[in-house]
Amino acid sequence: MANVASLRPEADQKPIAIPGQPDMWVLVMVEALTFSAYFVVYIVWRMRHPELYLESQAHLSRELGVADTLILLTSSWSIARCVQRARAGEYQAALYSVFLTMGLGVLFAGAKLYEWVSKIQSGMYFTTNGFFSFYYFLTGMHLLHVLVGFIVLGVVVYQLKSPTRQNQEVIETGATYWHMVDFLWMIIFALLYLMR
Amino acid sequence: MSAAADTVSAPPPPQPKAGLARIAWQWRHNPKAELWLAWCTIVVFYNIFGIVFFGLTRTQPPPQPWWAAARVAQWFSDNHDGLLVGFGVIFMMGAFSVASTALITYSIFRMSVSRAFAWAYLIIYSLAAAPGMLVTCIALVVGALRPDRDPRLLTWLYDMGFLSFSGTMGIFLVGSVVWAVAILLDKNRVLPKWFGYLNICNALTEVVVATCCIVKSGPFAWNGLISFYINMVVFAAYTGVFITLLQKMIQREDFGAGVMPAFAKPARH
Repeated sequence: MANVASLRPEADQKPIAIPGQPDMWVLVMVEALTFSAYFVVYIVWRMRHPELYLESQAHLSRELGVADTLILLTSSWSIARCVQRARAGEYQAALYSVFLTMGLGVLFAGAKLYEWVSKIQSGMYFTTNGFFSFYYFLTGMHLLHVLVGFIVLGVVVYQLKSPTRQNQEVIETGATYWHMVDFLWMIIFALLYLMR
Repeated sequence: MSAAADTVSAPPPPQPKAGLARIAWQWRHNPKAELWLAWCTIVVFYNIFGIVFFGLTRTQPPPQPWWAAARVAQWFSDNHDGLLVGFGVIFMMGAFSVASTALITYSIFRMSVSRAFAWAYLIIYSLAAAPGMLVTCIALVVGALRPDRDPRLLTWLYDMGFLSFSGTMGIFLVGSVVWAVAILLDKNRVLPKWFGYLNICNALTEVVVATCCIVKSGPFAWNGLISFYINMVVFAAYTGVFITLLQKMIQREDFGAGVMPAFAKPARH
C-alpha cells in the first residue's frame, strides 16, 4: 500500500515526493473544486442582494470567527508537528500532538455548535434568508468534514500506537486531510465573516 | 460464474477470427462473459436513464418546487406523452440497474475485506432503487395518466415524485461510504485508493440534497444550483469514473483470491 509518487530530477538532488498517499490529494482537489463551486454560487447570490447580505452578515460574530480560525490554525500546526515528530521517530510525542489536534477539533466543533444555537435562539434559521442559508450550509458542510477528520485522525492515532504500524505515509495522508479542512475554513471565514 | 478454475477440462477450441462465430466462441468460452454482460448492461442502463429522465420525461433537471396547483397541472399536461412513454420504458428496463449493484458487489467480494461490506452494499442498493427511482416514476405516471385529475391531487403526486427522487439520497450516501471503506481497507488492490476517496467526496456532496425538504426556491431547492446541478456534476463524473474502473477491473480479473494483477493491455482473445 506504500505508493509514494517520486521524481528523480538529478542524481545529486533529493527526490521530490508528494507527502502522504497521492490518492488523498485526489480527495483534496475534488473537495477544493466542489467548495469553489459553492463559493462562486454564494458570491453570485450575494451580488444580487448586496444590502440583504450585508445586513445579515452584521449578525455574525467576527470574534467567534477569528477564534474558530485561530483554533484551526493551531490544530494545523499541531498535526504538522505530529508529522515532524513521527519522521524523527518520536512516536509518543507525535501521539500527544495528534491528541492536541483532536482536542482543538472538538473545541472548534463546540464553538460552531454554540454559534448556531445562539443564532437559532435569536431567530436566524436556515430559511430566514439567502445569507443564512449559505451560512448554515457552508459551516455545516465544513463541520461534516471536521467530523470525518476525527475518523482520519483516529487512523493516525492507530498507526502511531503500535511499533508494528507507524506508517509515515499514512500519518502524512491524515495530516493532508486535516490541512484541507483548515484551508477550507480560511475561505469560508473570509467569505462569510470578513467580505463586506 | 461459469469459470471452473478448479476442475480439469479440455482447452477451448481456437477462437475464430471474426463474425458471429467469434461472438459465439466468446459467449461459450470466455470466463468473463457474465462480467462483461453485466458491465454492458450498466452502460445501456445509464444511457436509457439519461435519455428518459433528461430527454423524454423532462424530469431532470427537475422543474420548480412549490408551484401552484394550476401550474403543476399545466406541467403534467405539457409533458403528458413524454412521462407515459418515458417511464413506461423505465418500468420495462429499470431492472437493468441491478447490473450495476451486482458488479459493484462482485468487486467488494473480490476484496480482502469482510463479506459483510458486500452484503451491506447489496442490500442498500437493492432497496434504494424503490424510493430513489421507481416511486418517482409511479407518482408521475399516475399524475399523467388522467389529464382531468384534480390539480390538488396532481400537486401531491408532483411533490411525492420529486421529493422521493431527491430526498432519498441518504441511502446512496451510505452505500457510497460502505464501498469507500471497503476500498480503503482492501489489500487486494481491486480498485485504486483514490477512488475510495472519490466515493467519500460523492457521499459528502449528496448530503446537500437534504435541504430540498425545507427550502422552496434558490440554490438549495430540489432544482437549485447547489442541491441539484453541482451535485449532479459530481455524480455524473463519479459514475463515469466507476464504469471505467469496473471495466479495468474485469480486464484485470484473474478469478483468484489474492492481489489483483495490475492493468495490462489485454490480449485479444
